Amino acid sequence: MGKENHINTKKINVPLDLGVLYKVLDASVTGIVITDNLLPDNPIIYCNPAFEKISGYIRSEIIGHNCRFLQGKDRQQSERKIISTALGKGESCTVEIRNYTKKGKLFYNELYISPVKDESGQITHFIGIQNDVSSRRKSQQELELVQQETERKVEERTRMYRESQEYLSSIVETIRESLLVMDKDYKVLTANNHFLNTFKVSINETKGKLLYDLGNGQWNIPELKKLMEEILPTNNPVLDFEVKHDFPHIGKKLMLLNAHRIELEGRYKDWILLAIEDITDQRALQQRKDDFLSIASHELKTPLTTIVGYMQLMERMMPENASNKFKGIVEKTGKYVQRLNQLLSELLDVSRIQTGNITLHQEEFDFDKMVADAIESIRAATPSRKISLTGKIGRNFTGDESHLIQVISNLLSNAIKYSADNTPIEVQVSSISDFIKVSVTDRGMGISEDELSNIFDRFYRVGEVQKHYPGMGIGLYLCQQIITNHGGTIWAESQKNVGSTFNFTLPMH
Amino acid sequence: MKYKKILVCDDDQGILEMLELLLEEDGYQVVLEPNSVNALKTIERESPDLILLDIWMPMISGDQILRALRDNHKISSIPVLMYSASTDGKNIAESCGADSYISKPFDLTVLLEKIEELLKA
Repeated sequence: MGKENHINTKKINVPLDLGVLYKVLDASVTGIVITDNLLPDNPIIYCNPAFEKISGYIRSEIIGHNCRFLQGKDRQQSERKIISTALGKGESCTVEIRNYTKKGKLFYNELYISPVKDESGQITHFIGIQNDVSSRRKSQQELELVQQETERKVEERTRMYRESQEYLSSIVETIRESLLVMDKDYKVLTANNHFLNTFKVSINETKGKLLYDLGNGQWNIPELKKLMEEILPTNNPVLDFEVKHDFPHIGKKLMLLNAHRIELEGRYKDWILLAIEDITDQRALQQRKDDFLSIASHELKTPLTTIVGYMQLMERMMPENASNKFKGIVEKTGKYVQRLNQLLSELLDVSRIQTGNITLHQEEFDFDKMVADAIESIRAATPSRKISLTGKIGRNFTGDESHLIQVISNLLSNAIKYSADNTPIEVQVSSISDFIKVSVTDRGMGISEDELSNIFDRFYRVGEVQKHYPGMGIGLYLCQQIITNHGGTIWAESQKNVGSTFNFTLPMH
Repeated sequence: MKYKKILVCDDDQGILEMLELLLEEDGYQVVLEPNSVNALKTIERESPDLILLDIWMPMISGDQILRALRDNHKISSIPVLMYSASTDGKNIAESCGADSYISKPFDLTVLLEKIEELLKA
């Protein structure tokens, strides 16, 4: 350093002992170097221990070197240009430059370079203040990466959200059902166009309003309210709740309501989706169909009564000397007239069941006798078939005797129809716990596994059976309805080409 | 025993004729009334031993006729057998005081048995 014992006298203006100054520099945690610009290649003439620590070099390896050794081979950095420009102008500068330790490890050096001028303005020294900012830089870079990643994710999410929004709204707007989304206080958040069109209301009359305040309080039904209040806490949906109401603008309608808690990846748990379906026309159509069935079968019965009567008169008045051929014709006609009568009765029963008009008589009767009577009447009609009966209940049952006879007769005539003439049919009656169980078993053609689940459906007929045996396929449906109305269950077990067993149980009251 | 008079009231001509044939074949005297509006007058005039009465008829239904009949002391004791194709026919017949009931289409043997039973009583 020069002959003077003070630095930048203009600012400090206090003579200082050089030894003290060096002690200050040595104690600093910031790396400090001083170069002598008056010597060739501006060599380092001083470095403090902090600089040794940062660079990994020891003092003897530093003094006399130009500072550029710190950059190793990494010479194309733009920061170098900033430095040389500033230094050329005799100005200070701050850069963040890539430096390398003795071991070749990269570190980012925040470098502040300040020129020292003599009285004539000539630059005599440079002071370099160095800070290893690698960790700061690293975290900064990481932060930037995280930021970039976050932005990318947000963008992606936004895109996906927008797509799924569009996807959802296209469904919501296309669906022919009215939809409302509500918050936990039953305030309407959105309504689809179908809702607005159906109820002839504007979005302003709907959005933000409480469900129970909509229209003329059409949804303000205590029973519905109770169900709706259970949706959020219990996640119990409202299913097929019927509302019959005189709605403003659209008049008397029958609406079917379904409501669910909305859950989207764990979000929106407090929202409710309410779907409203106008089933007025559908129900009216159903009613008209049932009425038609009922009237048609009832009206058909009147002429049939006359036909049945005349058929029986023909049999009674059959001349002694009539030919067997003629007798056969009369007998066959009688049989098919009876069959027609049976089909009409079934149709009438179906229409009554559909409209809920089937009335079960609750009368006490001897169950064992009922079963025996049902078997006896079938035996009388088909004397060639062997029908066995095992087991008994030994007590009275309260229910609809004539309908239960119908069930047993139906199961028996099916068993007869679908099994060979020489095979036996078994009826088993037993009491199990507080239930009566009746089983009818045949050794017939059996029913395949996949058809077994459909046989109690209305108008369902087993495929190949359809070809050989005429009928409408409502017998088993009726049986099921009758047994179900008694609180019992009916089911079938079957094996192809081995036989079938039809069982039903009835709870004893 | 035979030659008893049976009045049949039904709006359906086919059933009337069929029943007429059956009943006459079985030795009964038969009176037919196709118009329910005239039923009570005809019953009073003919005073039959038994009435066969359809339930569902236009204008005046069978149960209305039966209620009126039971309120008219001149004819109130005539036994009445009701019939119908309707499944609740039996309930209706019981509630308005019919002596017996049979559902359409009827088995002629059963019908004749029921008629004989009512006439014996």
